[in-house]
Amino acid sequence: MIRLGGGSTIGRVVATEALPAGPHQFHFWTAIDTPIGIGAIVRVDAGNGRTVYAVVVDGRAYSDLATPLHEVVAAEGDPAGDRAPTRRTEIRLWTAAVLRHEPDEPIQPVPLAEVLLATEQDVEAALRMDGYLRGEQPTGIPVGVYRAGGLSAPVYLDADFLLGPESAHLNISGVSGLATKTSAVEFLLSSIFQRLPSHKGSVAALCFNVKGPDLCFLDQPAELTEADEELYSVMGLAPRPFEKVRYFAPYKADGVNLNTLRSNADLVGDVQPLVWGLREVLDYHEVLLNRDDIDAKADAFLDFLADRVVDKQFRDEWGNTHRVGSFAELQLLFKAIFDGLEAAGRGDSWRTHHIATIRKVRNRLLNISTRCKGLVTDDGTVSDLPFGQFEDRSVYMLDVAGMDQLGQDLVFTRVVTKLREHLERGDLGVDHVVVFVDELNKYAPADGPDTYVRKMLLDISERGRYLGLVLFAAQQFRSQVHRRVVGNAGTLVFGRMDMDELAMPSYQVLSPATKIKLATLPKGDLMVRHPHFTQPIFVRFPRPAVLQGPAGVKRFPPAVDVPFEEAVVRQLTAMDKRIPPARIRDCIAGRREDDVRRALLATARTRPDDVEGYFTASLGPGVRREAAGRDQDATTPLRSVEDPYAT
Amino acid sequence: MADALRSAGGTVGAGALLTHVAPPVASPFGTASHVEGECILAIDVRGSAPPPEAVAFLDGIQRYAVEGRFGLVPVVRGYAAAAVLEREGAKLGVARAHQEEFLVVARSRLTPDQEAALEDVDLPIVECDVAERSHPILDVQLAAKEVERRREVVEAELAAAHIEEAPGSWLVVDGSLGGIGALEDGARVVGLVKSHETQFLEGADLEVALTLPEGHRTSVFARSAGARGRVFSFYLRLWPWQEHDLLHGLVRIERPPSEAAVAEATEVSRWLLAERAPLSAPDGRWDRLIYPIRQVETFLRAQAGGWW
Repeated sequence: MIRLGGGSTIGRVVATEALPAGPHQFHFWTAIDTPIGIGAIVRVDAGNGRTVYAVVVDGRAYSDLATPLHEVVAAEGDPAGDRAPTRRTEIRLWTAAVLRHEPDEPIQPVPLAEVLLATEQDVEAALRMDGYLRGEQPTGIPVGVYRAGGLSAPVYLDADFLLGPESAHLNISGVSGLATKTSAVEFLLSSIFQRLPSHKGSVAALCFNVKGPDLCFLDQPAELTEADEELYSVMGLAPRPFEKVRYFAPYKADGVNLNTLRSNADLVGDVQPLVWGLREVLDYHEVLLNRDDIDAKADAFLDFLADRVVDKQFRDEWGNTHRVGSFAELQLLFKAIFDGLEAAGRGDSWRTHHIATIRKVRNRLLNISTRCKGLVTDDGTVSDLPFGQFEDRSVYMLDVAGMDQLGQDLVFTRVVTKLREHLERGDLGVDHVVVFVDELNKYAPADGPDTYVRKMLLDISERGRYLGLVLFAAQQFRSQVHRRVVGNAGTLVFGRMDMDELAMPSYQVLSPATKIKLATLPKGDLMVRHPHFTQPIFVRFPRPAVLQGPAGVKRFPPAVDVPFEEAVVRQLTAMDKRIPPARIRDCIAGRREDDVRRALLATARTRPDDVEGYFTASLGPGVRREAAGRDQDATTPLRSVEDPYAT
Repeated sequence: MADALRSAGGTVGAGALLTHVAPPVASPFGTASHVEGECILAIDVRGSAPPPEAVAFLDGIQRYAVEGRFGLVPVVRGYAAAAVLEREGAKLGVARAHQEEFLVVARSRLTPDQEAALEDVDLPIVECDVAERSHPILDVQLAAKEVERRREVVEAELAAAHIEEAPGSWLVVDGSLGGIGALEDGARVVGLVKSHETQFLEGADLEVALTLPEGHRTSVFARSAGARGRVFSFYLRLWPWQEHDLLHGLVRIERPPSEAAVAEATEVSRWLLAERAPLSAPDGRWDRLIYPIRQVETFLRAQAGGWW
């Protein structure tokens, strides 16, 4: 293999009538043992001030053999026969797609001149990076290292086209199991955090961990190879984990063990419970309630509840005053309505809402706290993301991997909607938020029902860039994602692809050789499409400097679920290791679990310096537990009116 | 027809269709003497063998064009080139090459002004023979002979340079050694003659030579070689000739005369048989043209591509 540096002559442009050189594509030959391959960037100097930059998209080799039959004759029919003493003359003929003409006008066919291996400066010019790496306000974000013929050159994305406002969003595709998609996003987020210039404002990232422990150890360092460190060095990045990461996870159904794989005693103290009440859920009832089930009448009643009842003083016709702030209080309201109607002998409607509609809404709403147990509480306790206080260069990781699809949809919808609302008002705390969603094909499928989540993703895709709401999304098959969501992504990244996927029409623009390269791409290599790059570019990125999920689970094995008392002890001692477990046990002995939960949640949400004191204060003075206390709040089934929706 | 030929001991040819009378053979006969044995024998060389590691191949080409005339006198622009391609591993690389361009004209028939005008062209002027009387075709032929002679000179110079600089290497020359100039006896030079216009053998010896089976050589004989005196030679059948014609796959090998040339005849034959692969098809001479020589030709043609 010839080892050449950038700027070395590696070939010569050839053109025939059948294979002419055009302004967008040309052919050149090289030595047999040329160091270049598919994806290499080359330069052609016309000699009159014109320079053409191009990327190799295809290659062919052939000899002067007119027909295979001649080989058979020469070998006398024996393929294992003596090897020919002379090797046939071969050619390496490459096809290159033009990246840039300099000057831009007039665009002319590529000159029949020498082909040179691109230097670092050539790579910069070829990818038009000079436009955003130079000047007073550079906006380059390293995405990887271009490597060919011994040259390693950093490749940058334009922050204006990655985070807005020019274009925005990033979509990454690749087969599962190679850890490329998540790793690439982790690396890129780190790159953004390190290199986003101050004039572009502040940025935070919000990641939904939808499967396994992928994003559970973003603050833990990983062991990197020398090759990885070299890549970081080429890009001028520091290989370090994220400095500011806040983890959020709902509880499990028991309401006290956190539903996350970051539950090791050494780490769980950093995880804040994600708990919502009625108010947080009601605005997103569309996500939770089946559209086939909830008609216009039910919608009207839900709106009535949201506008007139929830979090307000509400006086019913029977002289009762309600303040509904939780599912439990909502339950009491419904009970009062049904009891009142029954007492008044009017069983058909209440405030123009038919009793059947009210029953339907009651059952659906009250069922939510059961279906999303661990995330949604009956008692109105809330532990939420710090909307309005997002910090620059911080990662907010929501671990929803342990939740069912419905719960994930609810979390996703509410969180993103809140982000959008705050960004619109300019009071989120940061100027840009990168939202990372894996398995995008689940949330925004190309076909299937038009869900609330998909509509919201479309909205982000089409309008998010003006707000600073940026979607980094990943999926295995891009063709299975809604076209408008993918189409609005300014930057497309591809890891190793499945050949079946590459056969889809959306990949027709790629040459067969590029497709083969994509189908065999090694781990750590990516193909990048970016508005400034007129052709896809292959880069290599280093392993992210954060502990990967499987390694993290190995180093920090998740804690097994423990009984209520032990779970409380574990969480409080994780927040403050100085607290003696025995004192916590004494403190919660004989207390109602709901009260303990509420105090624990308040402590976890507040993160006070004096954990024990805060917890004790939140728990309040001890009240003797009465055997019938819990049952008094339960709704008594109405026996006089048939409930057709009680299933 | 085939049956009739076979039934009476004949052989069946390819039956290629011809339309023109072949041009007359300039020198149809030469003389020869036996060197290896008392008569020409067919010797089985027992298959092919790997060629020597150090081997090079020499060929030359010529081009000419009648650029114009002074009266009836043609002014011919000539081009002669030759190259030696050396084989390293299985790859051929250019070891040395030379090309030259010149004018060929019968100076004796030019006026001083005409001669001065040609000298301004900045090309060497080569004098050529003249016929007794002007003849538009014959005069050009005589100029072409001079171009051919220049090509032989270039070939001879390259051969000499190669022999001097790579004394242990074998050199396979396309064609006869007659034009190569002085060679030491026993020099590792092989002439590979593909055309058989001049027959040095006769009678039974000739029949043995022209009906050699595939993979056989004849015993070595010495042929007359003009000023050089004599050259050792033998025939070698590269491909079976049955169903083709007598000359199919038949080459004649030339070596500078020496005992080594006789001793090495079988070894040389065996590695030349190995040179059948790769096949030099689609060249029409593929049965006698070994691939490395074809590559020298290809290289020279590519070099001369723009010449006119």
